[in-house]
Amino acid sequence: MLLKTKGVSINIEETLVGKVTRLPENLTSDSFLLVDDEIQAYPDKAHLGILSKQNDIYDLDNGSVVLKIPTLEHLTEGDIVSVGADGNIHTLYRVDSYHNTLLATERCNSNCLMCSQPPRDKNDVSFLYGIHKKLIPLIPKDCVELGISGGEPTLMGELFFDMLEKIKHELPDTEIHVLTNGRSFAWDHMAYRLSQVDNNRLMLGIPVYSDYYQVHDYIVQAKDAFYQTIAGLHNLARYNQRIEIRVVLHKLSIPRLVKLAKYIYKNLPFVEHVAFMGLEYVGYTPHNIDKLWIDPMDYNKELGEAVEFLANKGLHVSIYNSQLCVLPENLWQYARKSISDWKNSYMPECQSCSKLEDCGGLFTWNLKKHSEHIKPFTTNVLELSSGIE
Amino acid sequence: MEKEKSTRKFKGLELYDRQVEKDYFLLPFRFHRLTPEKEIIVNEVGDYLILPNGTFEKIVKRQIFKDSDEELYGDLLSNFFISEEKVSPLIDVLATRYRTKKSFLDDFTSLHIFVVSLRCEHTCHYCQVSRVTQDKGKYDMSIEHINKGIDLMMRSPNSHVTMEFQGGEALLAFENIVYAVERTKELAKVFNKKVTYVICTNLAVITEEILLYCKENDILISSSLDGPAFIHNENRKRPGRNSYELAIKGIELSRSILGKSRVSALMTTTNLSLEHPKEIVDEYYRLGFKSIFLRPISPYGFAVKNERKNKYETEKFIAFYKTALHHIIDYNLKGEFFSEDYASIILKKILTPFPVGYVDLNSPAGAINNVIVFNYEGSVYATDESRMLAEMNDFSFKLGHLDTHSYEDIFYGERAAWIAEASTNENLPGCSECAFQSYCGADPVHNLSTQGDISGYRPTSSFCQKNMEIIRYLIELMESDKRIRTVFESWIQ
Amino acid sequence: MATKNFIKDGVITVFADTSLYSKDGIFKCLYWYGDKFHTSVAFADSETYRITLEPISTINISSEEAELYLLKLERDLIDFNLRDIVTKETKNIRDLLVAKAFSNGEFDEEPVGTLSDPVGFDVNEIEVA
Repeated sequence: MLLKTKGVSINIEETLVGKVTRLPENLTSDSFLLVDDEIQAYPDKAHLGILSKQNDIYDLDNGSVVLKIPTLEHLTEGDIVSVGADGNIHTLYRVDSYHNTLLATERCNSNCLMCSQPPRDKNDVSFLYGIHKKLIPLIPKDCVELGISGGEPTLMGELFFDMLEKIKHELPDTEIHVLTNGRSFAWDHMAYRLSQVDNNRLMLGIPVYSDYYQVHDYIVQAKDAFYQTIAGLHNLARYNQRIEIRVVLHKLSIPRLVKLAKYIYKNLPFVEHVAFMGLEYVGYTPHNIDKLWIDPMDYNKELGEAVEFLANKGLHVSIYNSQLCVLPENLWQYARKSISDWKNSYMPECQSCSKLEDCGGLFTWNLKKHSEHIKPFTTNVLELSSGIE
Repeated sequence: MEKEKSTRKFKGLELYDRQVEKDYFLLPFRFHRLTPEKEIIVNEVGDYLILPNGTFEKIVKRQIFKDSDEELYGDLLSNFFISEEKVSPLIDVLATRYRTKKSFLDDFTSLHIFVVSLRCEHTCHYCQVSRVTQDKGKYDMSIEHINKGIDLMMRSPNSHVTMEFQGGEALLAFENIVYAVERTKELAKVFNKKVTYVICTNLAVITEEILLYCKENDILISSSLDGPAFIHNENRKRPGRNSYELAIKGIELSRSILGKSRVSALMTTTNLSLEHPKEIVDEYYRLGFKSIFLRPISPYGFAVKNERKNKYETEKFIAFYKTALHHIIDYNLKGEFFSEDYASIILKKILTPFPVGYVDLNSPAGAINNVIVFNYEGSVYATDESRMLAEMNDFSFKLGHLDTHSYEDIFYGERAAWIAEASTNENLPGCSECAFQSYCGADPVHNLSTQGDISGYRPTSSFCQKNMEIIRYLIELMESDKRIRTVFESWIQ
Repeated sequence: MATKNFIKDGVITVFADTSLYSKDGIFKCLYWYGDKFHTSVAFADSETYRITLEPISTINISSEEAELYLLKLERDLIDFNLRDIVTKETKNIRDLLVAKAFSNGEFDEEPVGTLSDPVGFDVNEIEVA
């Protein structure tokens, strides 16, 4: 899935954010016209700019334009893009997707061994928020869910709360899902400040990788992280904030996984959802793969025990990023098709699988590193028993 | 770019170790020998670990090491038995959990028992208080006392109170119950209270008319059933020897009008019952109850006077309890849901982080904090057992009288303070260092009535003997058999 | 002095080193023998407690049982001494815990450590209305 393209910009000084349309009659002052073939006439309606595959344009005047864009096929009517002075065109929001996310910052105060989106130590907050401020009002009001991720979003500081308030104002019916390490909320006033946003559609997804501080701190490569996160979770609970716990499954988290489930029930019984997530082979993971890799088939016992313990206690539990053929059947009810559409792939042999429709598949990047036990289900029992590998 | 790489270099596990010089600090916890091979340690909020014999000593003597006892060390740390800092970094989390466990105290008195009549048409041999008489004037609660009791109930800080009508046979004074419910309904609106109504009855005199009133007002029926006919009728004497038949008919009628979930039954264990654990369990199962409460008889009133018939060794009760419990577990292993209430109460304390407000097994004790009794003649008692003790002329737990004492006199008076002193097992001799402290409770009324001392004496206490063994046994069962563990978990969902 | 434990005329006698056993632990231990025995603690010498269990008159204890009680007492003394160590070592933290539990967060600890941000976010700069 293409989310970024680039052309030659004319008359663009600062980053523009707008919706795209192929129909000149639909243009507004905050939309771009997409031009695949030759343009008939320069649009007379007010607009933000023109994005064109062509090499040239007539009657340009002072209008903002990007030319020589290799492709515009990936853009759907109503998608929202940012267009930079350098000619870069980023897709910020896709109307046909349920997985739209705002990247709050690439800064992070943790450095997880399996980070899928490694942090960068530069101050990108005001630049990114400048874009988000323009983007948020343009998002369709019927947007079902919007993610906020990083980096560590709370490092935005005051702007973090500013952004959440703006989102609540513009998108009161949208479920907001923030991925944070939760450490900032160890400071009670941060949790209190969040509660002041007063958005009951807001949920925080916070990772806890072990019940034992040293293992957690090692996995997230940050001293004091465990104690800060647990204290943060309690402060958030004090102000009735909605919380999801996220556990990534790998060689370092598996040995104490069942103990972690019990720890969550005993110490964090207020959480709304616990998600167990398969490892993504991207970002830092390939570099640390020796420390992290365990075939998912080989942790089914621990995963099953942890999931069923929590589910029996009445907690809402999910398994993400796993394939049905690797998961015991009693756990299928917890498996979700969670991978964002643009990162989602299947193995070639999956095409013949009778459960394909129900299976979450793999991250595209996990095509390179996956369970050895992936094989298609076939509806023909005889074939199954004779074993087609 | 270079700088970024150097600061983000991955570090080893050992660099995240906070421990200083292989030392650690102890957090408050308690220890008990569970079986010849295993011991248990329980922390201040009721989390436990089962360990091989000798581990407790090693923990205390700082002979557990992070590297050589990796898993155990992590367990001790993450379960709040030790910490690497003088004050655990998560002490506030532990404090929150402690507060949660004790939060049954938050709202103060919920259960208000109104003994609307002492009259009864039964003459149960273990009964503590009832009278067979027509003398309503003497043995029924007066309208004036009902009013005063309701007024006190409305003063409870608790926004959700339970009004329970007891006897004698409460239904012999049904017109007074109607009066009490109607008045309470009106006042509940004024004082913004949610009220749950319960009538305790042997069902002998229940009628369709009574039940329709119960249905209309959402009143629960709590009945008595001691087991199959030959036990029930032997225990519960009444002219015609038909107590059992009337109870069964009453249960059916009540269920048909109120619905199954609105009708419960309580059993009382007697010497005769002790010989028939399975039959009693089967009777409850056969009648479609989803649980049974295996209770020993209380040592009060006529029960103590009729010593030969009723005094049995706690050991015999424990044996009875275990046999019945196994029979119940067998039903579950066959796929039926059927639970034992006393076990469920204890298991909730052991396995969940939540408070369990069962008045007879709490610390601080349920007396006054969770329950108060307005007796038929206007006296106010700390618990149901207290008024039975009073029938033996021991008025130790009489807190006052509706005619002469104010809310403050009753709930915060000298008697209440005296009871409170012996109401926390955290500071009772023999309990203060007991591993099962957080699963158990204090019962000053039981102590005084059985041992003549409000603090009690644990080595001969039947309360202690019974609870120690039942708690120990429940833990042993679920730790030794995963299937039983699953059954127990299903009871506390 | 020689501190070999013994049973004589039905009376169980046990010795305990005063530097190893706490008085509190010994008394808490003996509490549990009070239903069957007269219990006493005395100094055998300045470094040794002499602990005796004498069956109360109504209780009949055979010599085999007495042996078992001796063994049980020896073990219990160790257990109760360990319990006493835990109780004393954790007294302050337990008091703190209970005080915190019945407060409303006003005695909360400061968070552990700091938030290191490569660029300079300061958690204390967040303003609360």
